[in-house]
Amino acid sequence: MTARVAEGPLGRQARQRRAELEGRYPEIFSPPLLSRAIVLALLGAALALFLFGFWQLGFSFGRMWRGLGRLGDFIPLMFPPNPETWARTEMYLWSLAETMAIAFLGTVGAAILAFPLSLFAAKTVVRSWVLRWPTRRLFNSVSGVDTLIWALIWINVVGLGPFAGVLAVMTSDIGALGRLFSEALEAADRKAVDGVTSTGGGPVSRVRFGIIPQVLPVMASQVLYFFESNTRSATIIGIVGAGGIGAHLSEQIRILEWQQVSFLVILILVTVAAIDWVSGKLRFAIMGRAPAGAAA
Amino acid sequence: MAQSLPRLSENRLSPLMDGYARALAARRARSLAYSAIFFVVTALAVLAAEVDLTKFFANIGNIGSYFDRILTLENGQRVWTDPAEWFWGWKPWGRLLLDTLLIAYVGTIIGAVAGFLLCFVASANLVANPWIRSSVRRLLEFSRTVPELVFALIFVIAFGLGPVPGVLALAIHTMGALGKQFYEVVENIDMKPVEGVSSTGASWAMTVRFAVVPQVLSGFLSYALVRFEVNVRGAAVMGFVGAGGIGQDLLEAIRKFYYSDVSALLVMIIATVVIIDLISERLRHRLLSMESAR
Amino acid sequence: MLRISGLTKTFGSVRALDDVSLDVPAGQIVGIIGRSGAGKSTMLRLINRLNEPTAGSVVYEGTDVTALRGRDLRAWRARCAMIFQQFNLVDRLDVMTNVLLGRANHVSPALAMLKLWSAQDRAMAMTALEMFDMGRLAAQRAGTLSGGQQQRVAICRALVQEPDLILADEPVASLDPRNTRLVMDALRTINREFGITVLVNLHSLDLARHYCDRLVGLAAGRLVFDGPPVALTDAVSRELYGLEADEVTDADPAADPRVTPLPARRSAGAH
Repeated sequence: MTARVAEGPLGRQARQRRAELEGRYPEIFSPPLLSRAIVLALLGAALALFLFGFWQLGFSFGRMWRGLGRLGDFIPLMFPPNPETWARTEMYLWSLAETMAIAFLGTVGAAILAFPLSLFAAKTVVRSWVLRWPTRRLFNSVSGVDTLIWALIWINVVGLGPFAGVLAVMTSDIGALGRLFSEALEAADRKAVDGVTSTGGGPVSRVRFGIIPQVLPVMASQVLYFFESNTRSATIIGIVGAGGIGAHLSEQIRILEWQQVSFLVILILVTVAAIDWVSGKLRFAIMGRAPAGAAA
Repeated sequence: MAQSLPRLSENRLSPLMDGYARALAARRARSLAYSAIFFVVTALAVLAAEVDLTKFFANIGNIGSYFDRILTLENGQRVWTDPAEWFWGWKPWGRLLLDTLLIAYVGTIIGAVAGFLLCFVASANLVANPWIRSSVRRLLEFSRTVPELVFALIFVIAFGLGPVPGVLALAIHTMGALGKQFYEVVENIDMKPVEGVSSTGASWAMTVRFAVVPQVLSGFLSYALVRFEVNVRGAAVMGFVGAGGIGQDLLEAIRKFYYSDVSALLVMIIATVVIIDLISERLRHRLLSMESAR
Repeated sequence: MLRISGLTKTFGSVRALDDVSLDVPAGQIVGIIGRSGAGKSTMLRLINRLNEPTAGSVVYEGTDVTALRGRDLRAWRARCAMIFQQFNLVDRLDVMTNVLLGRANHVSPALAMLKLWSAQDRAMAMTALEMFDMGRLAAQRAGTLSGGQQQRVAICRALVQEPDLILADEPVASLDPRNTRLVMDALRTINREFGITVLVNLHSLDLARHYCDRLVGLAAGRLVFDGPPVALTDAVSRELYGLEADEVTDADPAADPRVTPLPARRSAGAH
C-alpha cells in the first residue's frame, strides 16, 4: 500500500483558500525569523568554535585516517587477551587489590574529613557566613584539581606508591563530598529540628538528633557513589606512580603488548562492574530504593 | 512541673522495657557485625595500599614545607609579592589553558552528539528489539568504564602526541557517560505524544524528532553542561600522557621541582575550573527557569 | 470497506479481544460501546496497528492490514487516523506543528525534520483549524490549551492526514459536557463533509445513540451487539453494562438497579 497522490477534499479546499489564509495569518505562513535566527546564530557560533577547535588542535583528515588505520592494526592484536604467565596474572591481581584498597581508603578518609567540614558549610547548621564562605571556597578549589594532579603532589610528600594514591583520592574527594554533604544538610526537613528545639535542645543536639539522622542515609549513598567512581580513578593513578593497576597498564601500552593490555582492560571492566553491583545493592539496602539524582 | 507523669507499675513496665531492649540488642548486634566487616576490610586495604603511618607522620612536615616551597619564588620572596615573576609564563600557559578548554569543548560536543544519536536506540520504550538495544548499551558501558586516560594512552600511540588523542579519548568517555544519562531521560518521557505521532504514520526518526526530542532536550543540555565541567578537569591532565593541554607543563613543573611554577599553574587551573563551573551553573539555572516558564 | 475477522488479542492470560468479526462499509459513523475493559480500545489500537493482534485479520479494500510492515504500515496508519482520550499531542510544540505532524507520512522526511513545511500543508492545517474555530490559537503551545481545545487540535491533526477512516478512542471521556458536544459535533462534521468513516469508542450510551449510525457492543472482549441505535433495547444495554447501565443512560429512569434482577455476570473478563 503506498501513499496516495490524489488530493483529498481538504487539500482542495486548502488550495482554493491559500491566498486568503496567507493574508490572514502571515505569521503562520512566514514565521517570524527572529526566534529562529537566535537559535541558528547560537548553533552557528557553537559550530564555528567547534571547527576552530579542530583546526587549532591539529585535526586533519590525513592524521585521522592514518591514526584510525593504526588503531585498526592494534585491535586484532588484542585478541585473545592473554597475561602469558601465571606469575604475571598474580602480579596483576595484586595490583588490582591495591587499586581497590586505594579507592576504599581514599573514599572513607574523604568522607570522615568532609563530614565535619560540611557542617561549617551548611546554612542550616552554621548561620554566620564567616565560616561558611571560606569552607565553600576551599571545597571548590580542592575539587577543581584532578585526582591525578593531587597524586603527583603527594608523591613529592610521601614518595611513590599506593599511599600517595590514597591521599590523592582523599584530597580530591573532600571538596566534592563536602559540597554534597552540606547540600544534604541544607535540604534536611526543618520539622525534626523544630521538634528537638521545642523540647529544649541546644544547637548541638539540634544537629545531632534533628538533622543527622535524616541525612545519614543520603550521605552514605553518596559515599558509595564516590567509591564506585574512585574505583575507576584508582585504576589510572598508577600512570603517575601512585599505585594500583595503572602502572602496569601504561607500561604494557608503551611496549605495545596488546594482549596484556586487553587482559588488563577486561580485569578493570570486571572489577568495576562487580563494585558497581555490590555498591548498588548496599545503596538499595540503605535507601530502600534507588535514589534519583544522587549521582555526582 | 505541676504533676509528674505517673509511673507504670513494675510488672507492666518490665515486659515493655524488655521488648525495647531486645529490639535494641538486635539492632546493636547488626551494626556491630557491619562495623566488624568494615574494620576487616579497612585493615586489608591498609595492608594492600602500604599505608605507613609512621612514614606519613615522619613526612607530615613535608606537606607544610612543600606548600611553603611552591609559594616561594627563586629569590626567596613569597610568590604574591611579585605576580609578574610568579606568572612569568602566563602567555604560553594561557594558550595551553585555552587549548585545554578547546579539548574539553570539542570532546564534549563529539561525545554528546554520539551519545544523542545512540541514546534513542538504547531506550526500551522506543526500540523493541532487545539485541539492538543491549548491544548499544554494552558499547556505551564499555566507553564509560574504561578510564579516559587509558583511551588517551592508546590513542597517543595511534594518532601521535598532541591534543588529537586527548579529544578522542574525552569524546569516547563522554559518549558513554552521556549516552547512559540520555537514555535514562528518554525512558522516563510521557509516551502519549509518541503514540500520537506514530499513529499518523510518521517514521521512527520523525517520531523521535517531534515527540521525544522536545521533551528531553533541556535535560540533555543540562547533562551535557555538567559533563563539560567534568571534561575541563579531565582535559587538564591529558598532558600527563602526552595528549595535549596544560597537563604536560604541570607534570614537568612538578617532576622537575619548578616550585613557583607549580603554584602558578595550579592557581590558573583552579581559577579556570571555578569560572567554568560558575558559568555552566548559571546556564543550567537559566535553562531550568526557561523550562518551568514554558 | 473495512473487514475485521476473528480479531483476538491476549495480554498474558487475559483475552482483551476475543474473536471479533465486523464489516464496516465506507462512510458510516460506528459507535463502539461497552463498559471499560470490554476491549474497545484494544480493537481500535489493533486496527491502527499500535498493538499487534494475537490472531485474526483486518482487511481494508482487499489489503491485509495486519501483514503490513515498514513503509506500507506507515502509509496505512496515515489512512486511518487515531484520536485518543488523552489527546496525545506534543505539549511543547505549538498547535500548528502538532497539526502538521498529521502530514508526516505525506511529506519529504528531510524537510519535515527541519520543520520546513510547504505552504500547501500549512494552508491545509489552517483550513482544518479554522473549521473548528481554532485558527487564532495556531501559534500557541499545545500544552497551554484546555482539554476541549486540545482534542479539537487532535481532530485537525487527524483531518490533515486526509484519512479514509478515523478511529476515535474515548475522545470525550476527559471532557466536560460542553466540550463533549463540540468534539462529537466535529466528528459528525468530518463524517458528513469529507465522507470519512468514523469508528468511535464511547462509554455513554446517550451520546452513542445520538451521534452514530450504527452501534457495536463489546462485553468481555466479545461482540455481543451489532445494529442501529433503535435496536439497542434496555435488555441489551443491561447485558453490556450490567449494573452500570443506569450510569451511562438517562433514557429510562424507571430502570432502578435495586428492583431489576441482576443480569448475567459479565464482569469476568473486565478489569
